[in-house]
Amino acid sequence: MELLWTISATLLLCSLLSILWKEFDRRRNRNCYLLDYVCYKPSDDRKLSTELCSDVIARNKRLSVSDYKFLLKVVVNSGISEETYGPRSIIEGREECPTHDDCVDEVDDCMHRTLDELFLRTGISPIDVDVLVVNVSMFAPSPSLTSRIINRYRMREDVNTFSLAGMGCSASPIAIDLVNNIFKTRKRTLAVVVTSESIAPNWYCGTDKSMMLGNCLFRSGGCSFMLTNDPSLKHRAKMSLKCLVRAHLGADDDAYSCAIQREDAEGRVGFHLSKSLPKAAVLAFAENLQRLAPKVLPVGELALYVLRGLRHRLWRSKEARTDAATAARVNFKSGVDHFCLHTGGAAVIDAVGRALGLTKYDVEPARMTLHRWGNTSVSSLWYVLGYMEAKKRLRRKDRVLMLSFGAGFKCNSCLWEVLRDLNDGGAWEDCIRAYPQQTLVNPFMEKFGWVKEA
Amino acid sequence: MRAVPLPRFLSSVKLGYLNVVNHLLAFPIIPVMVAVLLQVLELGPDELIAHWRSLGIDTIHALCTIFTVVVVAAAYFMPRPSPVYLIDHACFRPLRTDRVPFATFFEHASLVPFFDEKSVRFQARILESSGLGEETCLPLANRYIPPCPSMEAACAEARLVLFSAIDELIAKTGLKTRDVDILVVNCSLFSPTPSLSAMIVNKYKMRSNIMSFNLSGMGCSAGLISIDLARSLLQAHPNSYALVVSTEIITPNYYAGNERSMLLPNCLFRMGAAAVLLSNSRREEDRAKYRLLHLMRTHEGADDRAYRCVYEEEDGEGNSGIKLSKELMAVAGEALRANITSVGPLVLPVTEQLRFLASLVAQRLLGARGGKPCIPDFKRAFEHLCIHAGGRAVIDELQRSLGLPAALVEASRMTLHRFGNTSSSSLWYELAYIEAKGRMRRGDRVWMIGFGSGFKCNSAVWQCLRAPKAPVDGPWSDCIHRYPVHVPEMVKLL
Repeated sequence: MELLWTISATLLLCSLLSILWKEFDRRRNRNCYLLDYVCYKPSDDRKLSTELCSDVIARNKRLSVSDYKFLLKVVVNSGISEETYGPRSIIEGREECPTHDDCVDEVDDCMHRTLDELFLRTGISPIDVDVLVVNVSMFAPSPSLTSRIINRYRMREDVNTFSLAGMGCSASPIAIDLVNNIFKTRKRTLAVVVTSESIAPNWYCGTDKSMMLGNCLFRSGGCSFMLTNDPSLKHRAKMSLKCLVRAHLGADDDAYSCAIQREDAEGRVGFHLSKSLPKAAVLAFAENLQRLAPKVLPVGELALYVLRGLRHRLWRSKEARTDAATAARVNFKSGVDHFCLHTGGAAVIDAVGRALGLTKYDVEPARMTLHRWGNTSVSSLWYVLGYMEAKKRLRRKDRVLMLSFGAGFKCNSCLWEVLRDLNDGGAWEDCIRAYPQQTLVNPFMEKFGWVKEA
Repeated sequence: MRAVPLPRFLSSVKLGYLNVVNHLLAFPIIPVMVAVLLQVLELGPDELIAHWRSLGIDTIHALCTIFTVVVVAAAYFMPRPSPVYLIDHACFRPLRTDRVPFATFFEHASLVPFFDEKSVRFQARILESSGLGEETCLPLANRYIPPCPSMEAACAEARLVLFSAIDELIAKTGLKTRDVDILVVNCSLFSPTPSLSAMIVNKYKMRSNIMSFNLSGMGCSAGLISIDLARSLLQAHPNSYALVVSTEIITPNYYAGNERSMLLPNCLFRMGAAAVLLSNSRREEDRAKYRLLHLMRTHEGADDRAYRCVYEEEDGEGNSGIKLSKELMAVAGEALRANITSVGPLVLPVTEQLRFLASLVAQRLLGARGGKPCIPDFKRAFEHLCIHAGGRAVIDELQRSLGLPAALVEASRMTLHRFGNTSSSSLWYELAYIEAKGRMRRGDRVWMIGFGSGFKCNSAVWQCLRAPKAPVDGPWSDCIHRYPVHVPEMVKLL
């Protein structure tokens, strides 16, 4: 019977070891590492100065003088510099009737430049890519943008592709969420994500004020990044994903329709931004933070927050405390070192900064990104990250929070942990020394100073 | 090699042989177990106890052995991904008022100002041999003279088709929309911001932590891409429900030019939508209709010829449309061969694979003398087939290249006839046809094959867990008694 005993013991040991190894392997492969990212830097002939913007606006003969003044005021006060980029079709005067080729060329230029550099820097061949995700909200040709990439880079026939569209400015975390979920079910997978926005086909040429803001604020930009769950590539990775939270307020009618693509009274398609947008943004933001806080904050901070809340309820204070003020008292900086805020506009950055209790230093990357690149929609988070890296702010074990808002209405966030000290200049290489700029006032204020009186 | 009908007893022998090879491991074990059982039964209970005692196993040994067996079983079963169940599916039922019989289509094409005489005749000839019937439907905006494809009209069509399909799915399954954890929507040629997925979240007041994804531009095979995405998400989130919605919005895609290769979509694409409820909750196993066995995706985009065969571009006059190249059939055939090379080993019985391998080897070694290339007999792997109803030519080509009998492609032909090419939702209309005909049995396997721009070929294999009870309520309810119909090669219009 010793034999039976020995056999049982051996089988038992092997099974236990097998279970433990499978569990360990599963956990090892669940991580999502950011190998590298490349932000898009268009060629200098695509720079949009305020003067050029003024000319483009003036080309729309349907606008009245007051409309013209309003738009110019927006541009001048936007916190956007003279160095931002626009699509060639708009600069060359075809903003009202872009061809299909204009739209495709705009996106192709972004995808090709960033992907070429990404493959070069990582040393990984396109043939090794297992998953490809592209998200461009407002342009979805057939065949899809993912097919365009597969064709150009001759990728394998079993690449799993996903082409996301219509998901708004907060779609970057959505693409990361998609890849992260695939990583949980597959081992040693390599994913490439391309995130950009298409401006050429979406120029609004009507007179509805609520739809004109997009024209003034959106600028060309994009980013390609590579993710993997392969533990053997961890030593080359820049960051590791810790958590991701998505809040979708589409169930609320006001939130759903506050940022929506539709036709104006004259049948021209534009992107309508309603007056209820700030309220929807606040609600989505609060929803997201509520779910994010327990995952991000240290236990001590959470405990303090609960205690403060109890104290407030038990010893009712005479001062009225609003939700926003209470939120500010949760110190997110206890769990997060750097904040990548979506550069939706100067007002958005300031509001979010106040809500999170951030200092000027904390919001500087977002403000400077808005200044240098404008609102590049989905890819703005990556330019902000690039600023932090170029400024050598990102050290090992630092925690970076990406926070974005977008049509739907959605607020999505993701927390990364930096795996090693990061020093790449990236798209900021040639201009980082000029930042932070002390004044963000538009240099054309003198020329267009009359808008302040308007 | 098509199977020659055998005399009945030889068929039984063949069946027996098939069973032996497929269950090779089980066959030696069963006789041994039976022999052991007989031996044990022969002994009386006292002798059994005496035997047991003589083995000298004390309690600890016994417990350890039992524990070992349990742990080994756990180690064997543990890492398996949870199954993906299809609880039910529903399709949009077009209204009779949206019907576009051939005469209506022809009249409309003649009256709109942008088609020249040649283009009108060309479209008529396409319709004549398209395999479409007289009851296919186009959205209202496309029937105006001239069509007015505004964004508002496109959104109205989206609301109509999507909400109808989802409402029907909710009625069939009793789904509470607040229980939906995953939402995947695919629509190739219309992607407003906010997306169609946000439109659905808004209409059905879904939860704020829903995982929603909106796929666009991915062509007619995107229905299976959405299922693939839902499957990955379900595998990462146990006990979840996924709502997958596939459609194509026709309104904004009317081609108003005269380029022949771009006129085909006008003739073939019709309104349709499908909503599918998936889950990986074990509770749903009792009421789920199907289980997903396999899903394979193949992308031929690296080949320029395949990439360009379905391509959106502007014609010489600036009209946007989808250009279909003359090589579409050849490309489709190649993509299918690439896809079934991956699917084959997973689904074909061992005998069939051996036979196919032997034929390939013979071909290689003996050349033409080795006989004609053998096509694997897919009838052995599937009971039903749903091929994307892209057009008559696609179905003909697939029937020929896979050596399929007419009965297996009937669902595709009849769907094309009744509903036209509804793009990514066509596979679900075909499945509904098979169910409505009462042909689906428990245990039956269904092979869905989708093709689309890229060029992609995706296939999924489902197994029926619960056959739907007749009469089946679905898009075919009002007309299944008339089907199948004979679809003539040519319907004379002019």
